[in-house]
Amino acid sequence: MTTATHGAPAEDTATSLPRLLPRSGQHPEDWHAHMARHGRLPYRDRPGDLILDLSAAGLTGRGGAAFPAHRKLSAVLDAADKRRRPPVVIANGAESEPASDKDATLLWLAPHLVLDGLQLAAEAVGAEAAILYTHTDRRNDVGRRLGQAIAERVAVGADRVPVQLAEAPPRFLSGQETALVSHLAGGPAIPTFMPPRITERGLAGAPTLVQNAETLAHMALIARHGPRWFRQVGTTAEPGSMLCTIRRADGTPRVAEVPLGMPLRSLIGDLGPDRAVLIGGYHGTWVPAADAMRLTLDNASLAAVGARVGAGILITPPPDRCALTETAAAVRYLALESAGQCGPCLNGLPRIAAALTEIAVGRQRRQTQADLERWAGLVTGRGACHHPDGTARFVRSALITFAAEIELHRRGRCSGTSRKAFLPIPRDSARTEEDWM
Amino acid sequence: MLRDVSGINSSTALWYTSRATGVVALLLMTAVVLLGLLVTRQGRLPGLPRFAVTGLHRNLSLIAVVFVALHVLTAVADSYVHIPLTAAVIPLASPYERLWLGLGAVSLDLTIAVVVTSLLRRHLSRRLWRGVHLLAYASWPVAWLHSITSSPDLRHGALFLLAVACALVVVLAVLWRLAAASRDVPRAERVGHLMSALHHPMSALHHHRAPNAPQSRAPERASRL
Repeated sequence: MTTATHGAPAEDTATSLPRLLPRSGQHPEDWHAHMARHGRLPYRDRPGDLILDLSAAGLTGRGGAAFPAHRKLSAVLDAADKRRRPPVVIANGAESEPASDKDATLLWLAPHLVLDGLQLAAEAVGAEAAILYTHTDRRNDVGRRLGQAIAERVAVGADRVPVQLAEAPPRFLSGQETALVSHLAGGPAIPTFMPPRITERGLAGAPTLVQNAETLAHMALIARHGPRWFRQVGTTAEPGSMLCTIRRADGTPRVAEVPLGMPLRSLIGDLGPDRAVLIGGYHGTWVPAADAMRLTLDNASLAAVGARVGAGILITPPPDRCALTETAAAVRYLALESAGQCGPCLNGLPRIAAALTEIAVGRQRRQTQADLERWAGLVTGRGACHHPDGTARFVRSALITFAAEIELHRRGRCSGTSRKAFLPIPRDSARTEEDWM
Repeated sequence: MLRDVSGINSSTALWYTSRATGVVALLLMTAVVLLGLLVTRQGRLPGLPRFAVTGLHRNLSLIAVVFVALHVLTAVADSYVHIPLTAAVIPLASPYERLWLGLGAVSLDLTIAVVVTSLLRRHLSRRLWRGVHLLAYASWPVAWLHSITSSPDLRHGALFLLAVACALVVVLAVLWRLAAASRDVPRAERVGHLMSALHHPMSALHHHRAPNAPQSRAPERASRL
């Protein structure tokens, strides 16, 4: 496996990372640069063919759920055959997790790799329409850049299926796949209840394949180099590489492509025992640094502390910030981002946020922590989506990891000296139905 | 009443069965409408969990259908007056009490649409199901009119009072339903609404945090509501 020093993935000739992002610098790749680096699109000329390669490669979804890509494609292909209805393929670039920057970075630097993957996925399931769904203003006008990239491909006739660009509303849940389908169908970007699964009956009733932008980029490379090449990095159970957003104490977020199974220590550096790492973003898990130093970046290893790789977000707040207070603010944001349609989430998350805030400001009552535990248990598994589950996981891990800090706050003190917020939290929350459209 | 009951014999049994099942069907349909209104507000009955209220609504409606079927079939089978079977579903097809039995047929047709779409609900879009289900609000008043108009029994005495009570309860329940709906917070505003109710500890967080911390929108929203 690749070794890297101090976070920067080293270029290794055998395993050759990065695979997705351009090797040189931060310059976006246009069609010519993309062709020079990767070569032509390896169309297979028949549906289903690529699915075998994806299965052999063991590619899983990089949006956070790590669902095997080949199973999703197979489900869509089967549904399309059974119902004799051509499917729709959607590239999901709407990374609504505020702490994540990897899809925006990938779409900005290597849009053609994602668009290649979108074409190949469309061919693999026999789709006649493709959509690229993303936040268009997240970074440097990425919407305009993607529009240009699509135009470049149309000009050279690279695409077999026309691609439409669709804008995601700036909501935490807008990238959830049923919310995405609801939004593209003209409704609000709120999750809907399953069944029917969108692979059976999604956009306008067509079998719908939604894949994370990074997953599609990996597909474009597996189609070119084969499953064996893909497996040259990563672990046997969780092969390949993934994009991570790493927010270290010393500065701006960095997006790095790293092999699965990489030691966390080499990604986030050595941390003192009183520090903590947030793995997986705001639906993720706080882990004490002492534990994190022994873990590797794969679900098999992270399961030991109840964490998951998710969308590859690693955050190490600086020692002068109070992570407990920041977590309370993040949970407040998560509560405000509830779609407000499922009772446990609607009623539970605001109460959870308020209780955590009580703890953070040192005004907790005797039963506050017991209430929090109880509510976290009550909301879990009871929504149309996993928003309450992820929020409950985040809160519970904070209660455990920051037990000492909670005790300090109870006595009216705080270990944080800087009051500048470290965790990125969007300022706006939804006020009307329009904000979800 | 006593004289009537004593007059039951093989030739009048069907006639009385038809009237009796009709009255029971009206009561059951009234209960179904009340429970349906309760279900739309996710309301509860004492001692029952919410899902049981929905279950009661569903099961009572199926029992009501059985009584309506008995009511119609016995009326058709009775030979005292001639009512063709087609008149049960085709309005104005009966030579006897043409208009008033026609109302019964209309109500039955609407009920059939509501029941069939509910049985097939899994295969229908929610919108279609709901649209058809709203016909229940039309079916009940038509059935009530049919009861009052086609049966002299219901125009006086205890049964008249019963029919009036049914109508009164349904009207009150519909008014309650409309009033409750007007107090609804739109989906997109529900969370903010709740957050503003819990405003106290939240505002403390803002004082505690840096000036660039996210500002609460909840209080503003509360003032608009």
